[in-house]
Parts: sequence; structure tokens; C-alpha cells
Amino acid sequence: MTAIEASSSGGEGINPVASVIAIVLILIAIAIAYFIAPPVAVSALIGVIVGGLLIGFGVHFVPVGGAPAAMGQSPGIATGVAMLAAGAGLAGLFGGAWAAANPEFGFAIVIASGAIGGGLLMAITCLMVNIVYIFGMGIPAASGKVAKDPITGDTQEAYKSQGTEGHGLPFISYVGGVIGGLLGGAGGTLIYYELLKLYSELLPSILSAEAAQVVPIAVSLAGIFAIGMFLVNAVLAAYNITGTIEGPHDPKFKRFPRAIIGCATASAVCGLFAILIVVV
Amino acid sequence: MTVQVTASEGGIPHNTIMAVGLVGSLVCLYLTYANQFLNAEYAAFFGGLAAVFALLWGTDTIKHLCSYGIGTGVPSAGMIAFGTGVIAMLLATKVETVMPYSAPIAAVIFGAIVGAVSGWIANSVLKMNIPVMVRSITEMAIIGAIVLMGFTAVMAGGFSFDTLAVQEIAILGPLTMPSYAGSLLGGCLLAVSFMLGSIALQHPFNACLGPGEQQDRTLMLAAECGFLSMIVVAVISFAFVAFAAAMLSLIIAVVGFVYTYIRFIELSKRDAFAWLDAKPILEPEGED
Repeated sequence: MTAIEASSSGGEGINPVASVIAIVLILIAIAIAYFIAPPVAVSALIGVIVGGLLIGFGVHFVPVGGAPAAMGQSPGIATGVAMLAAGAGLAGLFGGAWAAANPEFGFAIVIASGAIGGGLLMAITCLMVNIVYIFGMGIPAASGKVAKDPITGDTQEAYKSQGTEGHGLPFISYVGGVIGGLLGGAGGTLIYYELLKLYSELLPSILSAEAAQVVPIAVSLAGIFAIGMFLVNAVLAAYNITGTIEGPHDPKFKRFPRAIIGCATASAVCGLFAILIVVV
Repeated sequence: MTVQVTASEGGIPHNTIMAVGLVGSLVCLYLTYANQFLNAEYAAFFGGLAAVFALLWGTDTIKHLCSYGIGTGVPSAGMIAFGTGVIAMLLATKVETVMPYSAPIAAVIFGAIVGAVSGWIANSVLKMNIPVMVRSITEMAIIGAIVLMGFTAVMAGGFSFDTLAVQEIAILGPLTMPSYAGSLLGGCLLAVSFMLGSIALQHPFNACLGPGEQQDRTLMLAAECGFLSMIVVAVISFAFVAFAAAMLSLIIAVVGFVYTYIRFIELSKRDAFAWLDAKPILEPEGED
């Protein structure tokens, strides 16, 4: 089979058999955590799974343009999902980690800080992308996938250059980017926060040290695991949309259910490994 | 939108490269255990060689996967490799504390599990339907784990979880106290090796792909990127291992980088249609 015969268009609809197996895998991972790890690990694993599916869902909102967008031939931000997701996720993690370091802040504030960090980065990125497109390249923002912007109702067709799929970031793509950043930042921070709580609780007895001493190890481990799982989930979601998407109005957005199943499964397996490190 | 990615046919078969990469990197990782029997960590540089072996193998894997046009660009493959690899590698370092001399094998096994699940999700749940998907993602998770473990061995001289988590620092001469913040994990140097490794993994094929792609040139660039990352890792190792051992790692990394860089430029000249030794544009003097 050659590369051309093997279509990677990704098809529509979900694969029922694989989805059921995936859900069984999630349940097996939770069961293993329940039987071999203390109860705090099970809630951490569930938090990691929820965080993973938030990331997978959030990536579908982000207008990823790829190489064609760099040439102004399709709408979106001119880079790949891996870079955008890493940017939004790390910005979210910084915000969330700052809030998590303060014991006065509760769960809601930590997750909200992460979400705002990710959303803010995407808002700034989208704004600067549009400034470069409009004032640098001299092209207006126009969507190629819809005739009217679903939010503002602006017509798109007249502004679209011939031979392109649209260009720039229309309003709906901008809004989608910010929503995607909020969800991704919240998901990444949720993974980090759950793992941090778990490690802070279990590491002192493993290393036979005081709780305050192992804080750097707990922060570092939770951070690197959160980054790793963030990238796994973001790339899996990118595979689901086969690289590029305009935002929530794009027909590819309807593929998100299978990304949620896939990212939850990947997070469950990765999360189980991350929990085993303090149990083995 | 799928960009057609062209890759060369022929050359050394992928299975051969995979066997050489896996065996070579495992042998090098096990050679780093010699540190325990030497009076300094002179064998730490074998970790860097293990990373180079794994990167050569990984570049060929990425070439196989990305020639199917996955649509997300080559870098995403490097990111998922290290995202899954770091999880497998850290768990393997923890297993090392329970079962000595098991970390390299454990990293391969854990990497295979995480990678196979991710590859199966991408292929079946997300309906990518690429024949080499499961195998490639499995291989890349193993590669990510091996590269991280190799760089860790260069930096810290070993890869047991206790070695990575605690650093003995001397106070007032003979007295020592354990420092967790000054350790490899506490300083989050794993994040540095994460990016050094993933860029070295994703760059070679991303830079060389196209109609004139040649396997030997791409692999030479992979080795060059591996040694370039090893230079940085060897510089970091001055903080953790004996001065002479760190110097040895640094010299080997620099020599390896210079050799592979010169060879890569030669191969690039060979494959280029024409080569112009361009001179910098000289400003005409005396004209204002």
C-alpha cells in the first residue's frame, strides 16, 4: 500500500467497536488505580482524564492554519497544532502553577487562573496574527467554510480571494481561539494540580523527607507529566482534525466526540503510569 | 489539507535501522552502569551515544510515518514521541530503585505500552487508518524514553529515581546535606532534555524532506542534531558529575558534532544541483 492509496482524510463518524474498547480501557485503568493505589490516586486519575478530554475538546476550537495560512491561502493561525497547543498549554500552566503555589487559593481559582492564562495567550496571538495579516500582508479576514459569520452575521464571500479557502482570522475563528485557549489551559492545569496534590501527599514518605523539602520534586514531576500529557492529547486531537481547522464553525468540528473518547483513553493510560511512580 | 510529503525509496531497510538503533542504544545505556565501578562517572557519555543511536532510528521512523501525509506536520510526531516517552522513562527510573539494572528494559516496555495505546487510539478511535501508525507511534514512544534516559545518564551519571531526586551538597567542608531543589528532577532539567531531544528528533526529516531526500544525508543530520543536543547536556552535567567526566562527555559531543556536521555538508554538496561558495557582499569603499 502506497502513501497515496492510504487515505488519511480521517472520515466522519465514530468507530463504535474501537470506542467501546477505549471506554473499557479507561475503566480498567481506574480499576487498577483503585486496587493498588490509595484512594487519593483514584480521584487524581479521574482529574487527569477530565483534563485530557478538556484539552482534546479545546484543540477543536483553535483556528489552526498550518503552512497554507502562512501564505494567506487559508484562514487560521499560521502554525501547527503542536506549537499552538504547547504555547496555550504552557501559558495556562504558568498561571495555574502560580495559583497552585498559594495555599489560600482553592481548586476553582487554580483552574480559572490556568484557563485565563491559556485564553489570554490565544487572544493575544489571534490579535497579532490579524494585525500581521491585515496591515502586513494586506488581506482581509474571510472564512471559506461558511457564507455568514455565525456570530456577527457578516458576509464572507465578497472578501475571499479567488483560488483560496479564505484567509485571516474572521470573528468566529477569533472567538474559537480564545475558547480553545480557555479549555486547554484549564485542562492542562487540572492535570498539573491533581498530580501535584498526589505527589505532595505521597512523596515525603517515599523519599523519607519532610513535606517542605520535596516540594521542588513534586512541582517538577507534576509539571513535566502535565506537559507530556498535554502534548499527547493535543497531537491526538490534531490527528483527529487532520492538521487544520477554521474554528467551531468548520465542518471538521463535528468530529470532536471521537477525540474526547481518544484523549480520555490516552490520559487514563498516561495518568495511570504517572500514579504508579509513587506507588511502585 | 494534506501536503504530499516525498521521501526516498530504498536505502537501508527500516527493520535493520530499528534493530541497530534499539540494540545499540540499549548496549550504550547498560554501559553507563560502569559508573558504579569507576571512581568517577567516566562512562556517562555512553548515555549521549545511546541518544544518538535512538535518534537515528527515530528519524527513519518519522520518515516512514510522515510519508503517509498525516496532515499535522512532522514536528507533531516528535512531540507525541516525547510526551509518551517522558512518562515511560520516569516510571522506569522508579522501577530501577526496586529492581537494579532494569531501567533501560523497563523504559522500552513501558514506552511500548503507552505508545501502542496512543497509536491504536490515533488509528482506530480517531480513524486515521494509516498502516504504519500503531507501529510508528510505539517505536517513537520507546525512542523518546531512551533519548531522555540517555541524556539523563549524561547529566547525572545514572538514572535511578533516587539519584535524580536528591543531590548531596557539601556545607562547611566535610558535612553534607541532601538537597532536593538542587537535584536533576528538582531543577526540572528533564524539561530541557525534553525539548533538546524532541527538536533533535523532529528536525532532520523536517529539514531534508522533499523530492531529493536521501537516506544517508537525513540520518547524518539526525546524528548531528543528536551530538548538538549532547553538547548542551554535557555542559549541564558539570553541575552533577565529576569535572573530568563532564569534560570527557563534552569533548566527545563536540568531536561527534564537528565530524557529523562536516560529513552532512559534504553530503549536501553531493546532492545539490550546483554549489556556489558565496562570499559576503562587500560594501564598496569610499562611496558615501
